[in-house]
Amino acid sequence: MIEVLNGGTRATIQDAGRPGYRHVGIPQSGAADKLSFALANWMAGNRWDAPAIECALGGLHLRFTESTTIALAGAEMWAQINGQNVKNFSAIPVASGDILTLSFVRDGCRAYIAISGGLKIPEFMGSASTYLPAEFGGYEGRALRAGDKLSASNRPREAPRKIPTGYTPRLSRHIVLRTRTAPEWKQLSKPSQRHLFVSPFIATPATDRMGSRLRGDRIDSGNTLSMTSSPLLPGTLQVPPDGQPILILADGHCTGGYPRVLQVIRADLWLLGQIAPGSQVSFRRCFKDDAPEILASRNSFYSGDYGGMIEGFAF
Amino acid sequence: MSVKPPRILPYGDSAVLVDYEVEGYSETANTHLHHAAKALRGDPVWQEIVPSYKSILCVFDLATISMESATSKIEKTLSQLPQTPKVSGKIIEIPVAYGGEFGPDMAAIKKSSGLTQSQIIDTHSGQDYRVCMMGFIPGFCFLSEIPSVLKHPRHPTPRADVPAGSVGIAGWQTGIYGLDSPGGWQIIGRTPLKLFDKTRENLFLMEAGDTIRFIPSSKAIF
Repeated sequence: MIEVLNGGTRATIQDAGRPGYRHVGIPQSGAADKLSFALANWMAGNRWDAPAIECALGGLHLRFTESTTIALAGAEMWAQINGQNVKNFSAIPVASGDILTLSFVRDGCRAYIAISGGLKIPEFMGSASTYLPAEFGGYEGRALRAGDKLSASNRPREAPRKIPTGYTPRLSRHIVLRTRTAPEWKQLSKPSQRHLFVSPFIATPATDRMGSRLRGDRIDSGNTLSMTSSPLLPGTLQVPPDGQPILILADGHCTGGYPRVLQVIRADLWLLGQIAPGSQVSFRRCFKDDAPEILASRNSFYSGDYGGMIEGFAF
Repeated sequence: MSVKPPRILPYGDSAVLVDYEVEGYSETANTHLHHAAKALRGDPVWQEIVPSYKSILCVFDLATISMESATSKIEKTLSQLPQTPKVSGKIIEIPVAYGGEFGPDMAAIKKSSGLTQSQIIDTHSGQDYRVCMMGFIPGFCFLSEIPSVLKHPRHPTPRADVPAGSVGIAGWQTGIYGLDSPGGWQIIGRTPLKLFDKTRENLFLMEAGDTIRFIPSSKAIF
């Protein structure tokens, strides 16, 4: 069993999410950085989509009441077991009584802690993912706090695994997102279109699993206060009339009424989960023919014949 | 009445938007759209089918199907649609306490419309509305067009907290917040009904195609 000693800034249970309900207003949710999440599960010997803990910004303290293996991936948070440093992106054996502490995040935003067997969490609408705005999924529909007790499922698992050199994603405080255009792109003035690709933005404190409000050069989307509400996706960049763009994340609204100007390509969506308040965010243009190739090579790197690491890994 | 064939546009690298070119609200287009969405939903290639007022978002997995194939699949489905049938639905009465603490933007609507509060209430609740789409947050229902005197733009910067049940106006749209949420709509009242309830067998009070009737009520309903 795992006992939560300190929930930290915000730690939730996530899995691969609950797709297919956006038409009734329920977003996919799931791990905000699915790549680090999948790697944590892989190292712990689990299926890539087993429920795990997602810790945003840090501060999570856990005590283990039995010996098992855990794995850490994602943002760098100076993890320690009983006060001794342990390595990020690695599987770690823990003994009964051991205490894991994560300090404040240095690079990226979210760390993932997978446990051998995966966490035992009841599913709501087909997923164990926590969706905080509607208080469902995960651990009682809320973030973890001191006193919560989690247990591992007895699903089949493999032995712990080690990530080969070169397969660890690199995270920094500067996130570069490759994009294609979204439906209202053409409403932007030419200078605003240019600004989006040349000037970096800063993620404001209004950054969570729903979205990230960015600050930067004003983007002029024309007079669009009364645009008809339309569908949105994780990775959509919206521009409200104040000219400060909003990037939609895993728990983000399913529809919105501000012009949608850019869409982050699927292969880069995992990076959205590593945007912390204060991160620098830049957008780049991805050519149409490149997007499928980038995704295919990323997926085959981790799951195909070449890498063959994560079975069934695709998102 | 026939509908002009919608445009099919790419939305990023792994979604397609079926866009009906209508100004404001068109009941004909919205009926056609929901029918098309239902037909598309039968195909497992779509990870999400999200109908809205004037467009349908169709999400696919770029690892298994290309943008071109996705687009031609939609063209084929649309071309096979039969003549638009009526979308039928149930009628749902929604008690609303208008104004005061429940409608912080009532003053703004009074100013822009030149109407008194009771005229605004009579106008807003004086007609039935169709649920055109669900979305934004669980339970949020987007309704058909309001009388033009009540039209009002959104707040330029969204409010951080709008309580569940809040009834709002955005341009020509009106709708009800399903949950406490950030939001930019002009709030004129609130209902105590839960549009989304995770403990209820029917999670949602309504679905697209239903009809909503607002019943002006006193604060005592809370």
